Amino acid sequence: MNKVLKTLLGVWNTKTIVAIAIGAALFGVLMNYGGIPIYTNTRLTTAMIVPVIVGSMFGPVPAFISCSVGNVIADLIGGWGLWFDWSVGNGVLGFIIGLLPLYGAKINEGIFKPVHAVIYAIVCVIGNALAFGVITPLLTVAFYGGELTITFLQAFAGGIANTAVLVIVGIPILYALARRSARGSNLVMEEEKEE
Amino acid sequence: MENRLLINLVPGDTFLHRLTGKTKVRTFIILLVYIIMSFDIRLIMPLLILTIIGLVSLKTNWKRVKYFIIVIAAVNLLNIVLFWLADPDIGSYWCGGGNTVLLSLTGRLFLSAETLWYLSVRFIKMITSFMVSLVFILSITPSEMAAGLYSIKVPYKICTIFSIAFRYIPDIARDFNNIKVSLQTRGVELDPKKASLMSRIKQNVLILVPLIITSFDRVGNISNAMDLRGFGRGKTRTYYSEHEELKADKVFKAIHIILLLFCAYWIITQNIMPQTIKMWYPFA
Repeated sequence: MNKVLKTLLGVWNTKTIVAIAIGAALFGVLMNYGGIPIYTNTRLTTAMIVPVIVGSMFGPVPAFISCSVGNVIADLIGGWGLWFDWSVGNGVLGFIIGLLPLYGAKINEGIFKPVHAVIYAIVCVIGNALAFGVITPLLTVAFYGGELTITFLQAFAGGIANTAVLVIVGIPILYALARRSARGSNLVMEEEKEE
Repeated sequence: MENRLLINLVPGDTFLHRLTGKTKVRTFIILLVYIIMSFDIRLIMPLLILTIIGLVSLKTNWKRVKYFIIVIAAVNLLNIVLFWLADPDIGSYWCGGGNTVLLSLTGRLFLSAETLWYLSVRFIKMITSFMVSLVFILSITPSEMAAGLYSIKVPYKICTIFSIAFRYIPDIARDFNNIKVSLQTRGVELDPKKASLMSRIKQNVLILVPLIITSFDRVGNISNAMDLRGFGRGKTRTYYSEHEELKADKVFKAIHIILLLFCAYWIITQNIMPQTIKMWYPFA
């Protein structure tokens, strides 16, 4: 139990803090420049890659903070007002995506197998449904009151776009990251050869 | 694209700029609560006027801000139209049952006075929320923001995340631009008018990979530099950008208390207790 908690929290040293900050900045930039609008306030954005990277290297809680801070920053520099419901929703999605090390995909040690890719894809779908189907609408009602129809439509569009980006772009990037860190350690290479 | 960034890295010299970060962050948070809590135009309109005065007093670069205001107004108008299309009868729920039809297109699509009122209040609310964040972001520097967040008991490691992230946004945006330009010199079409949606998505991914690598390559350098300067040793932190409170800060402190009490009163009486009429409507 303690170990799970530790994986969830990640190690909070300076490196983690800087990586979260860079992740948040990247999120802000990609959200504002790298997006293709698909619906009002919703865009097909590659920003969703940030939690994949931060989560795989540092754990779910850093991914959560990176995503929610990143969304607040994106809102502030992009100037669409502040939507805390979406920030929290994105944060939760980041947390769920960041669960990677919990089911054995230890990117830092170069472990990412097809099984993990399948689990990851399923987790992405569940995470999007939970974050934008449940949490964001709930918070929207609590904060802004009675605009469920629009939020659901936005959430639906955003969720599908996010899932597509996460699966289609995320899996190759995870493979690349795993291969990159595997190169740094001979031990992992040996294990891979034995199989 | 460069002038789309709104962050100030250098403190300015007007009244709002000279307040402490603490005052700015607190004012912003209280005003957000104030906007979110109500759909009452009597509360929102004065704030909109105040933010316009604030924006003018900041003596900002109008060219930069004009673009934002136009885009946001357009996006919100589109949102309002979609809102109306989703439920033309939404006004009668908010303004207490009445339904004065002004214009009727088909059986389902009609424009009633109540809906018009509700949608325009909503539009003004969104614009006000945008204006408050615009004035906030134009008046604050990243390190003042971190100091302000620290003053409301956010752990300083998270404050540092804010200030580092803001510090590196211009750098990452520049990298993004450089990568994009160098891809274009190699003949990749990135113009949204000429390339199709699918190829634009592909090109966004092409930009993404080098961008991620250059951004995360920085992590080691920055964290080593911070470690060498002893970051994370102490339990508390003071901020260089946080100066002593001026007279105006003390006035703002009093305003904060009054506003907070008012917000608490409003939320308890209007939002928690059940109301028959959801929104103030003068022509009922």
